[in-house]
Amino acid sequence: MSALTQIVNSPAEISSAAVKLREAVLDEEVSPNEVISVLDAWAKSLDVRELDDVPGIVFLRMWLRRGTLEPIVVRELGANSLNGGWTEYGRAECKAFPVGVVGHWPASNIEIQPLLSMTCALLGGNAALVRIPSGVLEPTQRLIGKLVQSDPGQLLTRRIFMAAFDHCRQDLQEVMAQAVDGGMIWGGKEAVMRIRALPFPHWARVIVFGPRLSVAAMDADAWGDRAEQESWCRRLARDVWQFDQQACSSPQVLFLERENGQSTAQFLSVLRRAFETENQAHPRRAVSAALTSAICQARASWLLNDTANQATFPKTPDWTLLIGSGSDLPEPVQGKTLMVLEVNDLLDPVSKFDGNVQTLGLGIANPEKERELALLAGKRGVDRIVKLGRMHVFVPPWDGADLIRPMVRMVRHVSSTS
Amino acid sequence: MHELDDEIGCVLSMPPYAQPPDQRHDHLLKILKHELKYACQQHVGYKNYVQHWPVNYQSARQIADLPYLPVGILKANPPLSFVAADEIKRTLTSSATTSQVPSRVALDLPTMRRMTKGTATILRDFIGPARRPYLVVDTPVRMGDGNSLGARGAAIQGLQPFAKETTYCLGLDDHGDLTLDRDRLNKFAADRQDTELLVYGFTFILWNHLVKPLKDGGICLNLPKARIVHSGGWKRLQDEAVEKTEFNQELAGVFGCSPDRIIDFYGMVESVGVIYPDCPEGNKHAPAFGDVVVRNPLSLEPVVPGESGIVQVCSILPTSFPGHLILTEDVAEVIADDGCPCGRRGISFRFRGRIPKAELRGCGNLQIKRSLVN
Repeated sequence: MSALTQIVNSPAEISSAAVKLREAVLDEEVSPNEVISVLDAWAKSLDVRELDDVPGIVFLRMWLRRGTLEPIVVRELGANSLNGGWTEYGRAECKAFPVGVVGHWPASNIEIQPLLSMTCALLGGNAALVRIPSGVLEPTQRLIGKLVQSDPGQLLTRRIFMAAFDHCRQDLQEVMAQAVDGGMIWGGKEAVMRIRALPFPHWARVIVFGPRLSVAAMDADAWGDRAEQESWCRRLARDVWQFDQQACSSPQVLFLERENGQSTAQFLSVLRRAFETENQAHPRRAVSAALTSAICQARASWLLNDTANQATFPKTPDWTLLIGSGSDLPEPVQGKTLMVLEVNDLLDPVSKFDGNVQTLGLGIANPEKERELALLAGKRGVDRIVKLGRMHVFVPPWDGADLIRPMVRMVRHVSSTS
Repeated sequence: MHELDDEIGCVLSMPPYAQPPDQRHDHLLKILKHELKYACQQHVGYKNYVQHWPVNYQSARQIADLPYLPVGILKANPPLSFVAADEIKRTLTSSATTSQVPSRVALDLPTMRRMTKGTATILRDFIGPARRPYLVVDTPVRMGDGNSLGARGAAIQGLQPFAKETTYCLGLDDHGDLTLDRDRLNKFAADRQDTELLVYGFTFILWNHLVKPLKDGGICLNLPKARIVHSGGWKRLQDEAVEKTEFNQELAGVFGCSPDRIIDFYGMVESVGVIYPDCPEGNKHAPAFGDVVVRNPLSLEPVVPGESGIVQVCSILPTSFPGHLILTEDVAEVIADDGCPCGRRGISFRFRGRIPKAELRGCGNLQIKRSLVN
């Protein structure tokens, strides 16, 4: 096991790690540019076949590139922030300083999330104390091993400690919360509520990326365009497959705008093929019996409860398309179970969103219609409106919030010499 | 329907565990296909489900390919039924230990008759045909509203064909809690040291309301010829860290009989009429009128001996509700496809527990509505 990733059994191990991390932050200031140089090298080192099986690896490689991170830093921290300089704001100037040690509580279902969360804090010059859920320990170790190789000067690695312990260890959770100056919390409602209730210091900044769900929508001109159908369906399948449809950015339902006289059957057969192809390329390696049971239950109740409903699915629990109509947001099933609902007007379902929808993935041919939808979606609580196929692309603002700025202090200097 | 009834009746009259597996499979497959056809005629929603099944049931070559329903579907209220309301003679409800929401199954007369016969046929193979004094470790069976009957009541009644006289040894105290009626129990036990007896109770009731109080009082009933049958699952006892071996030893201890006179059977109201008692090897078997398919959760394909998976129970007995092909929420290990040393033919398997309740996972696990400020 890498020294960065340790199975922790006692509160003292976490306290001692936090002390070292704080020393590392105080010892030496690092500019975002220096951080990005290491992260960019790490991205290149991840481009090896042995890591291709880590879910989300493609996104991680993309996220860590200089070309991705530089514009994010400039947008969030200011024009001169890349080299750690002050940015002028009228008669004042501002510069980002780290809050100190940032604790990370990633969700247990997204393999790359501990690393994504950690990099947000590192880009702000912070140290990162990361709790690693047991389910993602193995891939995290493989990925972090490459960072160790890419950072011979230990610019970043001395600012990282990854603590693997059971989420039920309240003593370890508490000491971790007490030791940090900021917290980034990701996950479902139960996890989020439990972690938010930990005894953080009164000065700690805590940002929560809580449970959300996501929705896809296509207008009739888009899904009816035979030349583009295959591409749209491939994009949608990719969005469904990533993270086994368990991420907040995973589409659970596709709303299809009805077109008079035009059947969706042909489009749905293309969608079915796209699901089959995606399944062949990325077959599931494991599944819980509970999820299989839930998938079987969803298939059966969908078809039994309304004879107008249709469905298509293989003998396996690999994927499911539940087809019907209606503008209400259905209960998500996950496990690559996509509900496809026909509506007369895409504004109908969007007007019913209640703030739970994080991402609206769109396939819209008409730009005016898309602007109208985006405006309404924003009003109804949607934080990300993106093209289908890009629903998981991790670019801030995420959940309506910046990713680096919440964990820095923007220090304002108004000169006394002028 | 008459033709179907005859076919089922014919299988029900066969010895339950004597048929070679292939022969039994083909026989069952044929009848199950008839039942599916009949069910599709009776229920449009069921027909919709069957029509969307990835394998055409009419051309299916194995029972495992037929359209099965997850057991949760039977929690519908009113229950899914293939018969008119006035033909429903009884509604069975499950104990709902885990889910809190009970299953409901609607029984018409033919289904009720077959189920009674099915249970009796299986039990006869394990305890013999004789009628004998029957001690029920429970309160007397009472029908609920609308002629409904719970899982405990159904199991108690299922053993009535083996009863010469029936004694209930539990009552209710002032708080409505179960309590042991010691006088009645002692009266039943008196002078029956040499008598073949039948005892039945739900597993956790036997433990909490008979074994514990008698053991605490150092009492042995001295009934060496008692045959003790229990069912209802192990969840509550597992919560109390009571394992099967300990349960058998303690239960045998208070009755003064050998532990091998205790039979644990698995049954569910959703597949009532087909029960799965432990054979002397500790395995469970499917009778001539039912089958078990254990499915790999990853592929839903049947597993091979030595592997575990989700249990699907199959039964040709019900025609009044969709209970022919039910994917349960239980996990079992297949021991062998055939050849159990006990002599019973066909699949042998052992239960390994229940599937935990499915929960949405990760940052996408959303069930609560938010309030949105416009």
